[in-house]
Amino acid sequence: MSVWKQINDEAARVASVVARSVVQLVGQEGSLGAAVVWRADGLLVTNAHVAVGQRGARTLEAVFHDDQRLSARLLAYDLERDLAALHVARADLTPVAVGDSSQLRAGEYVMALGHPWGVVDGLTGGVLIGGGTQLPEMQGQDWLAVDLPMRPGHSGGALFNAAGELVGINTLIRGPEVSFAVPVNAVKLFMREVTAQQAASASVV
Amino acid sequence: MSSLFKQLSDSMAETVAAVSPSIVRVEARRRLAATGIAWSAEIVVTSNHGVEQEENLYVGLHDGTRASAQLVGRDPSNDLAVLRVPGGTMTPAQWGDNSTLQVGHLVLALGRPTEAVQATLGVVSALIAGTRRTEEAPKKRNRRQMGQVLADGYIQTDVVMYPGFSGGPLLSGDGLFHGLNTSGFRSGASISVPVTTIRNTVMTLLTHGKIKQGYLGVGVQPVRLPAAVAQQLDQETGLLVMSVESASPAEAVGVLVGDIITALDGQTTETVDELLLTLHGERVGKTVTLDLVRGGQTASLQVTIGERS
Repeated sequence: MSVWKQINDEAARVASVVARSVVQLVGQEGSLGAAVVWRADGLLVTNAHVAVGQRGARTLEAVFHDDQRLSARLLAYDLERDLAALHVARADLTPVAVGDSSQLRAGEYVMALGHPWGVVDGLTGGVLIGGGTQLPEMQGQDWLAVDLPMRPGHSGGALFNAAGELVGINTLIRGPEVSFAVPVNAVKLFMREVTAQQAASASVV
Repeated sequence: MSSLFKQLSDSMAETVAAVSPSIVRVEARRRLAATGIAWSAEIVVTSNHGVEQEENLYVGLHDGTRASAQLVGRDPSNDLAVLRVPGGTMTPAQWGDNSTLQVGHLVLALGRPTEAVQATLGVVSALIAGTRRTEEAPKKRNRRQMGQVLADGYIQTDVVMYPGFSGGPLLSGDGLFHGLNTSGFRSGASISVPVTTIRNTVMTLLTHGKIKQGYLGVGVQPVRLPAAVAQQLDQETGLLVMSVESASPAEAVGVLVGDIITALDGQTTETVDELLLTLHGERVGKTVTLDLVRGGQTASLQVTIGERS
C-alpha cells in the first residue's frame, strides 16, 4: 500500500475517533455550530459567540451522533476568550483526548471538525501557521492561526493534531483560507475556573 | 511506532525548525515586515516589493537580534531584491534542485514577519517552463500571461501567502528550499521564483549592483496586424510604435512613429512582455534585425541594442 494511502486512512481514522466527541448545537435559528465533549458526565465546551447571542444566552439543543437531542444549559462564558461551558444531562459521553497547545510547532498538521453550514462533521485540514500574541492579524489575542478553511458552523468544534488530541477550539474565519482557534491550554484554564466555580456554588446539604 | 500520519506531521514541523536559522525578517517598509532568506553569512535575498525603503533597513535574525542591512540591488522583473548585512553570521540556506519538484508534491511556505517562523501547507500546482528565448525556442509562445516577466519560469502552488510571507522560501520534503515565494505578481495563484533565477540575480547584483536590461527607446502598444501581413507572417499582432525617444538606438536607425514591430532578433513580438523578454541583458551591445511593418509592407532594420540606465 502506498504511503499516501496509508496516511489518508490514518487521517480518516483519527478524525472518526475525534468525531465521537463533537456534537452539534442547534438553536431556534437552526444549526449554530459545534461543541466538544470535555467530560463524560455532560460537560461541553464551545465558543461564547455560539452560546450567547445579542439578546443573551441562546436556547440550545445538543445533537449527538446517536441522534439523541438534549437541551444544553449554559454554565459560564467568557466573551474575551470566546469560550463557553455547557451542561447536558447525559453521563455516557466520550470525552475528547486533550493535548498541549504549548507543544505545537509551525508546520505541523492539524484538522478542524465542525458542522459547516449545518453539514454534520465537516472536516478540513492544513498546518499550524503559528501562534501567540505577535501574529499580525491577532490583535494581541493568544490564538492559533491555521491554514485551513473554516466556515460558519465550524465554530466551537475541535482543532486536533495528527495524534487525535484536541489542540484548540475553532473560533474565527479569517479570509477564505486562514482560520483561528483558541489554544487548548486556554480552554483547560477556563474549564478549571468553571468547575471550581460550580463546586464553590454547590449547596451543601 | 507512531502512525505514518503522525510521522508526516512531526517531520514537517521538525524540518521547519531545522531550516529556521536561514529565514530572516526584513524590515524595509512601514507596514508589516516581510521575509528574507540567508543566501550567505552576509547576504539576504528577499522580494523586491517588500523593500519599499532604501535606507534604515533591518533584518531580524533567528536568535532574536536585529541587524542593520544595506540594499545591494533590485531585480523588479523577477520581484527580487538583495540585501547585505555587514559582519553577518547567518546560516546560508540549502537550495534544492528544481528538476526534482513535481506537480502534486507537498510543500510548505515559510515566513518570519514577526519573531517566530510560520508555515502554510500546499501542493505544487504547476511548473511553468521558462520563456527566455534560445535559438531552439519555438517561435510561438504558449506561456500564460503573467502581467510581468519571469523569464526563467516559476513554480505555482496553492500555499496560502499569509501576511508578510513574501520573500520566504518554498520548502519541499527534501528539507531544501526550491524557490522564493512572492505575492508581488498580479496572479491569483501563489508564485515561487525558482532557484536558478535567484542564483542569477544574486550573482549579477553582487557583481554589478544592477540587472542589465536592453533598451530600444520606443513607446509601443500591441495592435492587430493588417490581414495580408498577418497571413504572410503567421502572426496576429505586433507592437505599434507610439513614440521614439531622442538619442535612442531606435532613433539612430530611423524607427518611425506608426511602424509596427513584429520581431526582434528573430523573436516575434506580439506583446510588450515578449519584447521585454527579448531585450534581456545578454543582447545589450549586439546588432540585431528589427522586423517591422511600415505602410502596409514588411521591412527590416539593423539595430544595436542599448542598455537601460
